[in-house]
Amino acid sequence: MQAAAQQPDAGQIMSKSRDLSITGSLSANINLTITEKGGAIRNRTIAMTTKSYTDGLEKRFIRFIEPADVRGTAMLVVDNKNMADEMWIYLPALKKTRRIVTSEKGKSFMSSEFSNADMSSPTLSDFVNRHLNKSGINNQWIIESVPVNEDKADEYGYSRKISYISIDKNQVQKMEFYNFDNELFKIIEIKSIFPLSDGKYLVKNMVANNLNTNRKSEILFSNIDEGIKVDDSYFTIQNLER
Amino acid sequence: MADFIFRYRWIIILLCLLTGVGSALIIPKTKIDPEMRNYVPQSIESRVETDKIESEFGVQDIVVILFSDTCIIGTNNLNQIKDIDRSISRINGVSSRISPFTVKSIMSEEGMMTVDPLIRQIPSDTAGLAKLGKDILENRFARDIVVSSDLTTASITATINSSVTEKETLQKIDSVINSTPGRAKIIKGGLPYIRQSLAKDVSKDAVMLIPAALLIMLLILKVNLGSWRSVMMPFSVVILTTAFSMALIPLTGWKMSIITLLVPVILIAVANNYGIYLVARFQELSYRHKEASKKELITILIRSLNMPILFSGLTTVAGILGLLTHSIIPAKQVGVLAAAGVSLALFMSLMLIPALIFVNGTDLITKKPGKDKTMLFDKVLTRLSKLIINNPGKILLVSATAIIIFSTGIGFLRINTNQENYFSSKHPVRQASELINSKFGGSQTISLMITGDIKDPEIMKGIDVLTTRIEQEKGVGSVFSISQVVREMSKAIYTSTEYGYDQIPETREAIAQMFELYNMSGSPDDFKQLTDLDNTKAHILIRLSDPEIEIIRSVKTRISELTVNFPAEVSIGGYAIIMADFAESIIKGQISSLLFAIITVLLLLTIIFRSVKGGLIGSIPLVASILILFGFMGYTKIALDAATALLSSIMIGVGVDFTIQYIWCFNLQIRSGLSYPEATAASMKTIGRSIIINALSVMAGFGVLVFSGFTSIRFFGYLVLISMGSCLVGALVIIPAFLMKYRPGFIGFETGNKKTGKNEKENSIIRVTTAAFAGSSSTA
Repeated sequence: MQAAAQQPDAGQIMSKSRDLSITGSLSANINLTITEKGGAIRNRTIAMTTKSYTDGLEKRFIRFIEPADVRGTAMLVVDNKNMADEMWIYLPALKKTRRIVTSEKGKSFMSSEFSNADMSSPTLSDFVNRHLNKSGINNQWIIESVPVNEDKADEYGYSRKISYISIDKNQVQKMEFYNFDNELFKIIEIKSIFPLSDGKYLVKNMVANNLNTNRKSEILFSNIDEGIKVDDSYFTIQNLER
Repeated sequence: MADFIFRYRWIIILLCLLTGVGSALIIPKTKIDPEMRNYVPQSIESRVETDKIESEFGVQDIVVILFSDTCIIGTNNLNQIKDIDRSISRINGVSSRISPFTVKSIMSEEGMMTVDPLIRQIPSDTAGLAKLGKDILENRFARDIVVSSDLTTASITATINSSVTEKETLQKIDSVINSTPGRAKIIKGGLPYIRQSLAKDVSKDAVMLIPAALLIMLLILKVNLGSWRSVMMPFSVVILTTAFSMALIPLTGWKMSIITLLVPVILIAVANNYGIYLVARFQELSYRHKEASKKELITILIRSLNMPILFSGLTTVAGILGLLTHSIIPAKQVGVLAAAGVSLALFMSLMLIPALIFVNGTDLITKKPGKDKTMLFDKVLTRLSKLIINNPGKILLVSATAIIIFSTGIGFLRINTNQENYFSSKHPVRQASELINSKFGGSQTISLMITGDIKDPEIMKGIDVLTTRIEQEKGVGSVFSISQVVREMSKAIYTSTEYGYDQIPETREAIAQMFELYNMSGSPDDFKQLTDLDNTKAHILIRLSDPEIEIIRSVKTRISELTVNFPAEVSIGGYAIIMADFAESIIKGQISSLLFAIITVLLLLTIIFRSVKGGLIGSIPLVASILILFGFMGYTKIALDAATALLSSIMIGVGVDFTIQYIWCFNLQIRSGLSYPEATAASMKTIGRSIIINALSVMAGFGVLVFSGFTSIRFFGYLVLISMGSCLVGALVIIPAFLMKYRPGFIGFETGNKKTGKNEKENSIIRVTTAAFAGSSSTA
């Protein structure tokens, strides 16, 4: 109890870590590799440009590069912090743009082991955070995050998450996800980060292991261009169809 | 042999006792296998194909939880369903589920494609609930899939996986349901629950039927043998052989199934027969030959009865071994277990009982049964023999006519492999199945796996055609395929007037991009049951609202027709297809086991009667009984199933004894110089009673089956009464009339009891006892 009293509040640590990972504007290529249990590998490559706004709004423009049959497919995502994301997708083969609506953060990101929530900064108010045993030693905070209610648990798709955060850099190194039987089912490890000029950082390489399916997904950022000036008109439906 | 038994009596008794104790220790290790697919060999095509499909798309065994109310679309009901659905989604053993809260609504509104949960928020007012009801009825993924068209029933369908045991998963589901009370009535169904009920009811049946059968046997033995010490001799054989056979189940690595439940009952009904002959005959000998020593009597007993008992046992074993030709796995197991049990009963009767008699001999003598007891039998049998002697031709004509009339019922004989029918119509599992079949497309499935480039428009169109055509087939409740999702998405992408609306796109890229669109809006998990992540395999799931065998066959044939020129590889599997193969196995197994049993019994009868003609004549009651049995089943609509398919072999094995006993006795009467009418009258009066009591004891033993929890086993019990009754009539009416009418030349054959010349007293007694075996008035 005495040790816990000396520790900073777990929520504050999570908040600080989150703030450090929120980027301004950047563009990058993202390569997603999904390795099946039997070793079969699927690759996807997308080009992404993001722009963050001061009120927490984030816009993303994504164009698919690989695989060939979805090349040219483009997406515009408006990530609203307190309401459902807005998404538009352009399908070149059908020459149609459609707006799609989803609010389920626990959904798989591009059929990988990552969820949509893993790909964006967590909403702190959705969780109750606390230190676990051994938090604060070996330069590591060990913090458990439990969804605030059943609806949030359903939305995220897990009962609790344990984050391992380096004390000196406030960077998340590893996350463990537990199912509703309180069994560990997914581990995300941050393999490398890309330091940004404003002291913040971008997760460059991370790996998700699904212990239930024995599938592994890896995301690797390349051609990172930070601080680019992107006009708001870039994030429009008209631009999708170009 | 008698000397051997005298010398080693204690060793024989000890060995038998050890066998029993050892068996009793092993029996608790028995496991129950309620999985009907394990009844068919793993190597058959349907199982191979099903395993292949399940390795890609998971086991298609579904648990269905039904919620019923006058109107299920109410706030309280929906909250209850939501809570249960949420808890079930969190159970590890559940891989996916379909419920009113997982169904998506794919819509196009003002240029937006929305993939939203059908129920985003549970309405609390009447207008909201009415709108939800309307939305459900308009949603093709909801109507009759998660909510019935009459809005009285909702369902949660969970596909379970093997990450934890099925038992554990069902326990968790039960616990979720029990801890979430509500207004709606909840019924659970689906194959996992059927298996759970089967496993429970098999244990319950075993616990109830085995002691009941033993009790009945005990009473029959007491009535026939008098003293408890006499009763315990054949009864100990029953107990030891039943225990031995049951212990063979875990020893061989087999598992107890609904079918193997028949083994103890067969043994209880059959294994005492030989012991009864020996003990009763010893009582008879002791009573008649008070001057003879115990050793002398036992020697005589063994010499006189060994052969007939051996013949009787061998024909029973031969009939039962016919089950080995079945391809149904538990049928073979029953064949092995029952044959092993009967063989041991034969061995123990010939070794253990004489040893026990030697140890207890003098205490076994009971009073000679009074005349009152036999008076009724005598009257009936005297009248019957007069009738046969005076009208053999007419009796044969009437019998032949009756057999022909019965046998026409064979045309109506049907096969049933539907597990649901094992339960009575009031059983919760049966009620759930009927509700699922009538309102939710059915719980039994056929799976088609398409292997190829699923994004190829030709293949996708092929899947679409297959889906829509199969949907129209009789007995098909619903069909799920990826082409339905693609068409539904096309409706959200195009307006109803545009080309492409409700159609499969023309290019591979268009389909690929549609999938991508869905991945971004919905979840790939939404259709992981329908296509794999690489889109190299697609799964068409067909739910059957009428899972009867004719329907399954007809759907299978239609699928084969529709996939002749299919542009990709098509595999057909699923539980229902395995059951269709199972039905095929029942027919083939029935034919092969019947042929095997009839030929083997024919050969044995030929050897026993030392004449081919004798063998053929001896087989008449069997053939007649088989025709009557199947004809009766046809008329009464009792189907051939995994249990009733075993009956004919068991009937042949047990029922042939009556004919052997009659012809054996009749032959002895003729050899002793009686005329045909005299021999008929004498045989009827003596052996007739034995045969009737023997048949009644077998019927009584099997009769407990009518109290089984399983419809099929109950029918088996009723059918035993019919088949044993037929064998009885065959042996005591048809055979005597046939022998009277045609006087076949084989009668007068040697009985094998040659004079040894070593003891005149023994020989004189043997003559009496040989005849007495056939004509006891005090035994079964």
